[in-house]
Amino acid sequence: MTLLTIFIIFVLFAVVIVQISRINEMAKAIKGEEEVSDRSMDRQGKLLFGFMVVFLVGTVWSAWAYRNVMLGYGPHEAASAHGGSLDSLFNATLAMTGIVFIITHIALFYFAWKYRRRSNARATHISHDNRLEVIWTIIPAFAMVGLVISSLMIWNDVMADVDPDEDYLEIEATGTQFQWFIRYPGPDQKLGTKNFRLIEGSNALGQDWSDLKNLDDFIAQEIWLPKGKKVRVRIAARDVLHSFYLPHFRVKMDAVPGLPTMFVFTPIKTTEEYREELSKYSEYQVPADPDDPDGPQKWEVFDYELACAELCGYGHYSMRKVVKIVEEPEYRAWLREQESFYVQSIRGTDADPYKDQLFDYELADRKAEFERDFGDALSAADDAARIVRLKYVNFETASANLTALSRYELDNAAEVLQGNPSVVVELGGHTDSAGDADANLDLSRRRANAVLTYLSGKGIDTNRLVARGYGDLNPIDDNGTEEGRANNRRTELKIISE
Amino acid sequence: MADVVEDVQAQEKLIEELGYDDHFHEHHKQDKYASGFISKYVFSQDHKIIAKQFLITGMIWAIIGSAMSVIFRMQLGFPEESLTWIKPLLGKWITVDANGMGTLNPEFYYALVTMHGTIIVFFVLTAGLSGTFSNLLIPLQLGSRDMASPFLNMLSYWFFFLASIIMFTSLFLNTGPFSGGWVAYPPLSALPEASSGSKAGMTLWTMSLVFFVVSVLLGGVNYITTVLNLRTKGMSMFRMPLSIWAFFITAIIALLSFPVLVSAFLMLILDRGLGTSFFLSEIFIGGQALDHVGGSPILYQHLFWFLGHPEVYIIILPAMGLVSEVLSVHSRKPIFGYTAMVLSMMAIAFLSFLVWAHHMFMSGVNPFISSIFVIFTLIIAVPSAVKVFNWIATVYKGNIRLVTPCLFAIGFVSMFISGGLTGIFLGSSAIDIQLHDTYFVVAHFHIVMGVAAFFGMFAGIYHWYPKMYGRFMNETLGKIHFWGTMIGAYVIFWPMHYLGMAGVPRRYYKFDTFQAFADFSDMNKFITIGAIIVFGVQLIFVINFFYSIWRGKKQTTKNPWGASTLEWTTPIRPGHGNWPGKIPSVHRWAYDYSKGEREVITQIEPIGEDEKLDSH
Amino acid sequence: MELAIKHRADGTRRVPPMKFALWVGLASISMMFAGFISAYIVRMAAGNWLEFELPSLFMASTMMIIMSSLTLHGAFISFRAQKEMRYKGLLVISVMLGLSFVILQYLGWMDLQSIGIDLKGNPSGAFVYMISGVHVAHVIGGIAVLVVALLHAFGLPFIVTQKRIERLDLTCQYWHYVDVLWVVLFLFLTYYR
Repeated sequence: MTLLTIFIIFVLFAVVIVQISRINEMAKAIKGEEEVSDRSMDRQGKLLFGFMVVFLVGTVWSAWAYRNVMLGYGPHEAASAHGGSLDSLFNATLAMTGIVFIITHIALFYFAWKYRRRSNARATHISHDNRLEVIWTIIPAFAMVGLVISSLMIWNDVMADVDPDEDYLEIEATGTQFQWFIRYPGPDQKLGTKNFRLIEGSNALGQDWSDLKNLDDFIAQEIWLPKGKKVRVRIAARDVLHSFYLPHFRVKMDAVPGLPTMFVFTPIKTTEEYREELSKYSEYQVPADPDDPDGPQKWEVFDYELACAELCGYGHYSMRKVVKIVEEPEYRAWLREQESFYVQSIRGTDADPYKDQLFDYELADRKAEFERDFGDALSAADDAARIVRLKYVNFETASANLTALSRYELDNAAEVLQGNPSVVVELGGHTDSAGDADANLDLSRRRANAVLTYLSGKGIDTNRLVARGYGDLNPIDDNGTEEGRANNRRTELKIISE
Repeated sequence: MADVVEDVQAQEKLIEELGYDDHFHEHHKQDKYASGFISKYVFSQDHKIIAKQFLITGMIWAIIGSAMSVIFRMQLGFPEESLTWIKPLLGKWITVDANGMGTLNPEFYYALVTMHGTIIVFFVLTAGLSGTFSNLLIPLQLGSRDMASPFLNMLSYWFFFLASIIMFTSLFLNTGPFSGGWVAYPPLSALPEASSGSKAGMTLWTMSLVFFVVSVLLGGVNYITTVLNLRTKGMSMFRMPLSIWAFFITAIIALLSFPVLVSAFLMLILDRGLGTSFFLSEIFIGGQALDHVGGSPILYQHLFWFLGHPEVYIIILPAMGLVSEVLSVHSRKPIFGYTAMVLSMMAIAFLSFLVWAHHMFMSGVNPFISSIFVIFTLIIAVPSAVKVFNWIATVYKGNIRLVTPCLFAIGFVSMFISGGLTGIFLGSSAIDIQLHDTYFVVAHFHIVMGVAAFFGMFAGIYHWYPKMYGRFMNETLGKIHFWGTMIGAYVIFWPMHYLGMAGVPRRYYKFDTFQAFADFSDMNKFITIGAIIVFGVQLIFVINFFYSIWRGKKQTTKNPWGASTLEWTTPIRPGHGNWPGKIPSVHRWAYDYSKGEREVITQIEPIGEDEKLDSH
Repeated sequence: MELAIKHRADGTRRVPPMKFALWVGLASISMMFAGFISAYIVRMAAGNWLEFELPSLFMASTMMIIMSSLTLHGAFISFRAQKEMRYKGLLVISVMLGLSFVILQYLGWMDLQSIGIDLKGNPSGAFVYMISGVHVAHVIGGIAVLVVALLHAFGLPFIVTQKRIERLDLTCQYWHYVDVLWVVLFLFLTYYR
């Protein structure tokens, strides 16, 4: 309906226009007026001159009114080390082009007005002036040369890659439809390799877990960077072109699938510092949420942002990540909170190539854990509490063969027992309630014996070891659930005497 | 124009005595040009009709393309307002929620933006501008009967028509028209999984543009051949008006650059449909890893911009040629520095092939390579500046007839200055780091190419309208059109510079996802309102144009503007063959205005015994 | 005063406009192939480029098309010298040779397939298919024009006019172009790998 109304309005508009022009023509014919009457020329000339004045005043005024978005002015200062030189170049260019803009416009419109047609005037036949041509070729040429040189000096500086022995932090940003994945290298300061054919499920980047460098990498939800440290951003894309754009830092580089790109920059203002600066400007002193006038003001909730700057599909406008620049200690604290993606999501799953091995730190952790549990059991007064569950001792299904990884836990047990030569322990095998009770009893006894055999093989005197099978008689959890049954299938070490 | 003394008989006598007799009218008595409606008006081989076909088709596309811009500006300026009322036009692309609030589908927003760019750049400003005026003016201003091959010329229009049909059809596809930006970068454009517009819409888009390129090439072949081979007696290259130089140089650029676009499109089509890896490598999309390995998206960008940059000069050079003519005729002064103007056009044409990668500074190209392009880009500013100075010097000490075509020509110079200067920022690669893909770029190219080229086109249309239709367009409406557009265009595009400086990226469906970009809703509203008003003002022009064909003030004298060039020596409604008898021969350059006692000496008049010759 | 239209003594122009127009068009087509060639060069420099030898069938097809140009030129001279039978005969042979070029190109592609070079896979193969494919499309266009010449030769009465000579000349120029173009492309694809 609205569309129809608009259409009708247009038609009426057209009719009005046509009538205006007809009346206009007729009036002119009646008055015997010519198209180019002096009066008409005067009017157009004045309009042109007037336009020039309004235009130049308007543009200068608007530039002043919007000075706070001009690069390098007011709140819009660059937050990176190289940004300042870029902003200065912009302003130098602005000064130069601004002068040309004003002078040429004045000349154009002034002449158009001054030399408007009058019936008693004549034009002057000037066809060329070669000297003038040379002058106004050479001056712009020099100006351009100057710009080229200063621009390229800054460009070469900004675009240069890091030296290999420089101290810098490298992170990776991968653009996808429609979010960024930000990967940090973890404590080893090295980003692991990735392969797009390995992308699957939660492994959004196709990280190759057989590359040890990947194991400590983590994916960050926000980009945290320490102030003053050089950062090399490795930029990649998973599906189509994207572009890594940090407006406040004067950082931009396309993300190309199949071709890693990079940008090097150093943040020089923390988020807090930038907020402080913003708080001085009235446009930031308003409530951030117009519906919550008592809430925080705009400057208080300011955050640096990462945006995408290359059309990548219908979600191009929504690829946002927050960037936080903080002081070094805060950064380190944040780093400590981050968990490696591998540990969080991959370790122990089918995608884990090290499923059947333990890492050094894991060994150390488990050993500490065992010693702690043993210590607790030793000092416990209550009989029931003098039990250490051997959580990392496992057997192959329906057999008494220990799995490969079990030996680490048993080695820990052996070591502790050697350190406490008077302790006597009972090794108890337990099953869940599934299957035949006698079979379970038998299995649990054989398993307890297997543990005993291993420990005696490690030099523990068999006098100190007792093996006993409990079958399904001592459940500690509900056999009705899968989880409960899993908990019931266990091997325990009970301290009998010290 | 009663102030120009026109002695029709004296002129015809000159042509009879000194003209060149090619016995044209003896050969063409029973020719196909007048043998029926279809061959006279539809499949016409007469360059003047073909010019009008290009013009009208271009105008229709201009309306469609700018209407698209109004719609997407409404999304940008008024994102909270309901767009349910456009649903009858846009159908499924407006989603109406339970509260009756209609929003524009983001996929279609990008389709509108893409189509707007494609339509205006190619169909309006290339075909509609050089197609129209090259066809109209080359034979008329050079003194030839028609183009070198009227048949190829006719084909050139009908390939354009075919391209138009295909592109128009793509607007109605279920998966939507192509939406990957007018530049169509792969992988987005190559992978149907990447976007719904990259499905059938992209296929039709590419097909349409390949036919479009055929049209441009057929036209260009004609223009070049006619300029080099069919000039009349006495018309040496340096006696040609600047408009012809512009069309000639444009055609050369087009012939050398458009074929490379075709090669890029062919490789893109192969990547899309046949699994090759020219531009694609290591892609995971739609839940699976694709087989393409070893391609480079940057290779496409090189090939595309090898056309893309010369393309903007293909657009602006004809406009510059038209403006040079209009300014000089209406100022009653020669164009200042004719030779410098020709040389600067040649310099621009040559340099235009050396700057393409300034569109790719941030694309991952080796920075050293980019440096070279910075140098050439800033150098190309020099001949462009020279032209601006020459235009200003043309109006200096003129006696300027401020009629509508001349107003648009003056407006052109202003727009070219404003838009051209911002190019200097962008050509500086260091500054481009911040400004690339922001609204600063949008402001730059709209002012320097969009608005300026349109102004050149308007100047040409108003000025040569009598030549096309034997009538004048209404002056008052013309002036309203000029002032509305002049002011309105700056209202729309000037604020975009500030948006760009603030860092607001282009091709964003909305800005409120980011704190940094969300503060400009007032400015966006302002721009949108400007756009709507300017669109309305263009309708005044369209109405004026069509109304005046039948009811415009009749042209009563052969040379109403008092111009010196050959096109005004034909009868008021030139028939086929342009001159009823012999073709006039030429004895002087095209700019003898206000020389001695006379306000204009046309090109067909011999040099007087005591006349001094300019060296110009 | 210099005359813009260059005339010979007999009043005819130095370069007929349509011939000039054809050359301009051919320059344009060359630019498209220049686009392909430069893409090839850039891509090859980037590494990961499979090297292989072009099957010998392509050498055979090259010979065919060179011969067809020679016979076509012969046909042209014969026409101009009013030798009707020779003209018609050589024209027919030229069309046959042109067709055999197309067929041999196709067989060459089959050969490439059999040694494992496909459109998908390494771009070095894809480029060969693409460049030779676009070229053969232009050759087919040329054959169409030659067929028209054949129809004229056998359909119209044999009269040698200036206009007909010029028309035949245009046909031959185009054919020689696609021939020379193929020789250039062939040499490039053979030696620049």
